[in-house]
Amino acid sequence: MKDLMAERTVDTQKLKISARNVQVYYGDTHAIKDVNVDIEDKTVTAFIGPSGCGKSTFLRCINRMNDTIDVCRVQGDIMIDGEDIYDKRVDPVQLRAKVGMVFQKPNPFPKSIYDNVAYGPRIHGLARNKADLDDIVERALRRGAIWNEVKDRLDAPGTGLSGGQQQRLCIARAVATEPEVLLMDEPCSALDPIATAQVEELIDELRQNYSVVIVTHSMQQAARVSQKTAFFHLGNLVEYGETGTIFTNPTDPRTESYITGRIG
Amino acid sequence: MSDLFNGLIGGSAAALMVIVVLGLSALGFYMARSRAMASGNGDRRNLHSLPNYYGWNAAMLTAVPALGVLVIWLLAQPMMIDNAVFKTIPDSAIAEGSSRGLVMSDVRRLADGLDVIIQRGVMDAEQVTTLDAGTTDLRATLAAEGVALGSAVEQPVLDAAQMYRAQSSTGRFWMVALVTVIALAGFVLSLRVTNADFRARNMVEKGILTLLILSASIAILTTVGIVLSMLFESINFFRLHSWTDFFFGSTWAPNFRGDSDLSILPLLWGTLYISIIALLVAVPIGLFSAIYLSEYAGPKLRSAAKPLLEILAGIPTIVYGLFALLTVGPALVNIFGRGEQGLLGVEWMSGATSVLTAGLVMGIMLIPFVSSLSDDIINAVPQAMRDGSLGLGATHSETIRQVVLPAALPGIVGAILLAASRAIGETMIVVLGAGAIAKISANPLEAMTTITTRIVSQLTGDTNFASPETLVAFALGLTLFVLTLGLNVIALYIVRKYREQYD
Ligand SMILES: Nc1ncnc2c1ncn2[C@@H]1O[C@H](COP(=O)(O)OP(=O)(O)OP(=O)(O)O)[C@@H](O)[C@H]1O
Ligand SMILES: [Mg+2]
Repeated sequence: MKDLMAERTVDTQKLKISARNVQVYYGDTHAIKDVNVDIEDKTVTAFIGPSGCGKSTFLRCINRMNDTIDVCRVQGDIMIDGEDIYDKRVDPVQLRAKVGMVFQKPNPFPKSIYDNVAYGPRIHGLARNKADLDDIVERALRRGAIWNEVKDRLDAPGTGLSGGQQQRLCIARAVATEPEVLLMDEPCSALDPIATAQVEELIDELRQNYSVVIVTHSMQQAARVSQKTAFFHLGNLVEYGETGTIFTNPTDPRTESYITGRIG
Repeated sequence: MSDLFNGLIGGSAAALMVIVVLGLSALGFYMARSRAMASGNGDRRNLHSLPNYYGWNAAMLTAVPALGVLVIWLLAQPMMIDNAVFKTIPDSAIAEGSSRGLVMSDVRRLADGLDVIIQRGVMDAEQVTTLDAGTTDLRATLAAEGVALGSAVEQPVLDAAQMYRAQSSTGRFWMVALVTVIALAGFVLSLRVTNADFRARNMVEKGILTLLILSASIAILTTVGIVLSMLFESINFFRLHSWTDFFFGSTWAPNFRGDSDLSILPLLWGTLYISIIALLVAVPIGLFSAIYLSEYAGPKLRSAAKPLLEILAGIPTIVYGLFALLTVGPALVNIFGRGEQGLLGVEWMSGATSVLTAGLVMGIMLIPFVSSLSDDIINAVPQAMRDGSLGLGATHSETIRQVVLPAALPGIVGAILLAASRAIGETMIVVLGAGAIAKISANPLEAMTTITTRIVSQLTGDTNFASPETLVAFALGLTLFVLTLGLNVIALYIVRKYREQYD
């Protein structure tokens, strides 16, 4: 299987993230078991799998968000652009500026909508002046497909938005810092079909420059937006390959049962 | 009839009644239960409620009203008798320098003493009722039985005591009669309503609700009572002393021969000055330690440090006061005083007591208070919020400054206000550390005094509750109460508003 993957990466995009023998433990729970995966640049990769199989856990390894959980231990190597991100010299703060994340549960800050989006750019000094910052915020909110709803109340608290609006606000907040890799954990779980379509459009647009990893429970969404799909089951990476292949011609019986709706 | 009755059970009437009522109510429980079972033909599925509910209903109806009346009676009877007897004491019986209140307490003690004599069999009831103060040395007789009286017994006092005893025993008789009737009525009534269709479960539910409401209103009513008693005494004070001087005057100089200057302003100034210094010490240290403990410290350190801080919070304030007096005060004098021998070579501070001494020590006392409240509040900020910030590439301290603290700010402000109201009401530390000189000065090295210390000093020693010098304590207390109540209300309002954000 590794040979197959190598073949494909040669003729498509260059490698962005590569994980080798990754194990994750929460205390005694072995949540991720020996996962190897190569994620390409300028590609959308979908993680699918039944609830509790470790998708979020693996996603959080890629920007070292697991560091914030006391009981969590990560073993193995994860390289981004050939650099081991778990190396002692790597600053996780720097890494997270480069690898943005949209969380499974929307988590706006108790600040105004404007300040929520401006948070990252301010910290990293991305704006030269106020007007510049205004532009960045507006652009991010447009990309998050929420500009029209909030443009008249940028000073209102972000926590006062509806669940779906909060989710899009968090997407806008993540893209405002222009990360190279965007990790999205079920970004459309609370969105209506129209907003979902807009977010999918955004993902497609981001693909021009960045690498996007998206966790989703919707097979249709995975099929629509991704080029590569990885199927996780009970902490194992069962199958990884071209989205088309996974959905039409899976090699592993577990993958087939899952996408046809028999496990999950 | 009532004499016979008193001879039988005497002063323990109340305790006996409690036992009787409880016994009756237990009997009611079992009888109602079996009655309910019988009316359901022995099958509990035919009953509206579980059999025990019928029992509880009967027990409740028997015991609660009866015991309630008993309690009220016990509270009201002495007051009413006091009032009645009070009026009969002639003015001539009140010696020079004494007061009606003092004579009344003599009467009560004598009445109790006579009861003791009868109980011990020194005299029988008949003899006691016909006693004459002129012929018997009652004081000596009573002293032999261990009842000490302040002075020899005069005839009017003896008469009053006799009346007191007579009324008490009549009262006791009626109390027993009434309570018994009520308990029996409840008992009979509850047994009569008990049948398969009776909704005993709903009745018990109502009973429990009443109990809860009662407890809540006792808590509230006592607060109201405290405030009212303060209020009445304060009104008495303002009758004797002008309120403009109290609120707007500039000197505090109580003088027990009368004509004192009693202004709250110098005391308020001392109180606020010390509290501000205390908060300047406690807020930064407490807050920073809370941030460290909740955000940075490992679980091991936290589990060791938190109990330690809580121990600090449990030290009695008098111990802090001693610390102020014996350690901090002299240390400050060493730094700021003693001229050439001092550390700074200056002569700014003469005595160990000062605003700074009290403020510093009070600050230390408040550190655990601020820190443990803030710690709880910071911990209540959801981890997802921190993750959001860290996930955008913010550092730990940026996350704390820009996300965690703003989110926790209302709660922290509430905690600080609570600390402030404790500082304002604190007594022992300022009694020992702040000094006793009432003045308005900006120099923190001078001794000043606070509202609480003045309340203590106005009410200790010989006091006469009719002079403004004593009554001023209530006005001071009321002002203090209003001040801290205001702070607490604001603090609770803020804290509650903050809580709604995450629920
Ligand atoms: N903070 C944690 N502490 C302990 N165990 C955890 C923690 N987070 C996740 N786990 C465990 O790790 C396993 C994988 O969880 P994870 O959140 O990665 O699942 P998931 O695939 O994202 O599921 P879902 O689709 O429901 O979001 C689960 O068994 C879960 O119980
Ligand atoms: Mg998940």
